[in-house]
Amino acid sequence: MTGNTSTQRMPSYLEYQGKYTGIRAWILSTDHKRIALLYLYSQLFFFLAGLVMGLFMKLELIAPGRQIMGPATYNALFTVHGLTMIFLFIIPGLAASFGNFMIPIMIGAKDVAFPKLNLFSWYLFVFGAVIVLLGIFTGDGPPDTGWTFYAPYSLKTNTNVVLTVFGAFVLGFSSILTGLNFIVTIHRMRAPGMGFFRMPLFIWSLYGTAWIQLLATPVVGITFLMVVADRVLHIGFFDPAQGGDPVLYQHLFWIYSHPAVYIMILPAMGAITEIITTFSHRTVFGYKAIAMSSLAIAFVGYLVWGHHMFTSGMSETARLVFSFLTFLVAIPSAIKVFNWTATMYKGSISLEPPFWWAMAFIFIFMIGGLTGLVLGSVSTDVHVHDTMFVVAHFHYIVFGGAGIAFFAALHYWYPKMFGKMYNKKVANRALLLLFIGFNVLYMPMFFLGFMGMPRRYYDYLPQFANLNLLSTIGSWILATALIIIIVNLLRAKKGTPEEMDDPWGGRTLEWKIQSPPSLENFEEIPVIDHEPYELIEK
Amino acid sequence: MKKPISWFTLPFVLIVLLFSTTNSMAGNAKDLEVGITEHLDQYIPSGIMLTDHNGKLVDLKQIITKPTVLCFVYYRCPGICSPLMNGLAEVMTSSGLALGKEYQAITISFDSRESTDLAAKKRNTYLKKIKGQDGAGWTFLTGDSVNIAKATQALGFGFKFVNNEFMHEGSLIMISPEGKITRYLKGISYQPFEFKLAVYEAAKGKSSPTMIKVLQFCYSYDRKSERYSLDITRLTATITLIFALSLLTYLLLRGRRKNSNSVNQ
Repeated sequence: MTGNTSTQRMPSYLEYQGKYTGIRAWILSTDHKRIALLYLYSQLFFFLAGLVMGLFMKLELIAPGRQIMGPATYNALFTVHGLTMIFLFIIPGLAASFGNFMIPIMIGAKDVAFPKLNLFSWYLFVFGAVIVLLGIFTGDGPPDTGWTFYAPYSLKTNTNVVLTVFGAFVLGFSSILTGLNFIVTIHRMRAPGMGFFRMPLFIWSLYGTAWIQLLATPVVGITFLMVVADRVLHIGFFDPAQGGDPVLYQHLFWIYSHPAVYIMILPAMGAITEIITTFSHRTVFGYKAIAMSSLAIAFVGYLVWGHHMFTSGMSETARLVFSFLTFLVAIPSAIKVFNWTATMYKGSISLEPPFWWAMAFIFIFMIGGLTGLVLGSVSTDVHVHDTMFVVAHFHYIVFGGAGIAFFAALHYWYPKMFGKMYNKKVANRALLLLFIGFNVLYMPMFFLGFMGMPRRYYDYLPQFANLNLLSTIGSWILATALIIIIVNLLRAKKGTPEEMDDPWGGRTLEWKIQSPPSLENFEEIPVIDHEPYELIEK
Repeated sequence: MKKPISWFTLPFVLIVLLFSTTNSMAGNAKDLEVGITEHLDQYIPSGIMLTDHNGKLVDLKQIITKPTVLCFVYYRCPGICSPLMNGLAEVMTSSGLALGKEYQAITISFDSRESTDLAAKKRNTYLKKIKGQDGAGWTFLTGDSVNIAKATQALGFGFKFVNNEFMHEGSLIMISPEGKITRYLKGISYQPFEFKLAVYEAAKGKSSPTMIKVLQFCYSYDRKSERYSLDITRLTATITLIFALSLLTYLLLRGRRKNSNSVNQ
């Protein structure tokens, strides 16, 4: 197929004048690209909010004893930090923003299957977020249960659990509808010639993710409603005083929340695959293995929730089985990492910022993954359970994995989305700073946890002081790096169409169209006549 | 990745293994003096000798050859025994199960002073209430105090003699053909479906009709309310999976949209 570069350039989706003007041209637009940006901006807003809360927590932990807040404030802070980062930033994650932007373009369609539903999903997301925020700022104070809302405490605390949990319930609907939209889009809207095994691997990962969103999210929705029912109507599903079972809550919660980790990480892995392939200037190694490993992770991810509950009172058999299944997830994850390495092997690698971001992802994700095995095997988990070790592992996976991939994707697709290029030198240096800051912030937590420092306390014993100080310094480096990164992106400069349409030499469909794309993406629906990632002369 | 199938089977096998290892809850704390202490999964010992309505001495364990519904009453009882027996007779008719074929019923008087004649008389009264059913499948037993004590202790039925009357609770006790206690249905009136479920539960291992399998899937015994109740988790999971599978099937069958040129703004 031919590129659009030689043909007449259409007004981009950013310039297009529709029925509405001003803000209404955005919040009433059903264009998947504008909705993607609405998600992107809202997610980044919540990310920065969560970041500030994290900084305050680290500041409290800079030395033993009370520094800037008491225990109750700290409890509320880590709860709200978790809620914001998990439900408002990383669960919508790459799927809501980059998935929305890229799915139709990468499969050669003009929009998603249900554009209005897509906009509705964003409204649900904002509505849910507003309810969560109301829950934080009204009533008897923000929830202090941790983002997991474990019963029976979540049934007993006087803080504003009901509203927050209801907000999370609404957010779940947004997630389900987005998943449904993506599944139908991928099945029904592919361009002629684009078979399933010709789809870019980012699409495969989003496909796996969408099924998890569709199937797992209802479970947590019902669970949250049960918490509300317990609190408001005193039904007693989870309250042992009324014959309920708090462990049942943990089961139901983790049946969703473990697959949710894959909702976060799968699209991240997909984006990393795109980046590595593009900058290695090689066909991806093991296309089918990577595609299938996405589905395998999505599937096995359903069966491992029990590893969050090794110390909650489970039978030996159950612990053994859950532990074994957890180990199984390592296999498809490792398949991806090995295939990325093999893709780079003998490739003609160009060391552009997105590639460095991908490298940072692999390094940090590996540490996160391997420490996950420590938590996945029962005997070691019993030792480090509920310590800072878990916090470190979790942040290596969710922030170091999904979060870093989010910024990697942002740097990769930024020229496509905005037709602008950031300062690459600044981007590289800021990434290095972020990489250092990240490891200085979270690496000490592994040691602290191993030494026995429990998580979720505003205070600690004097022997943990040095490592905590180091960790707090790391948080400042990390925050500085993030500010530089965001300012650098905001100061990106417009480039010529030739520079911006395909700055990296990408081979997927989005690089064949103009940057930023026109309203309809393709003036003519492309016909795909080659294998994915095939090197073709332009 | 030529055979992803073999990857997926392993966790399945493990899951099946996981759910097939049942933890028996045979904690035998002190039995209630008056009331029911559930002796689930325990076996009726042999050697409990009782007299049937024909005056024949029988071993309780040996006459249990089918899934069995057993209840303790005393025939002169002015309290809950008659309502219980009426409830049982009613559910026998309405459940649609064939008495004598698919299950049998045993009623034991725990008043050692009651006679075979009285048992036979009472039996005739209740057989009239279950017209169309084979009355041979319902045995009425009496016995001496030693054997009654053996029976009530084995089944966890506690009663007390106060002011010339007995204090006791009402319950149907389901017993498997091998003599294992499988379920207690408390109260004096019973839903046909729960009666049916309990009978098939007692017959476990034997094939049950599809409708029962569906019921067994949708309802599970709730220890707290002591009733079979709708298993919401299972039901919603099934509905979700059916929805997902039909969506996938539809999408696979329909394939790609023919023209995808419409764009909304």
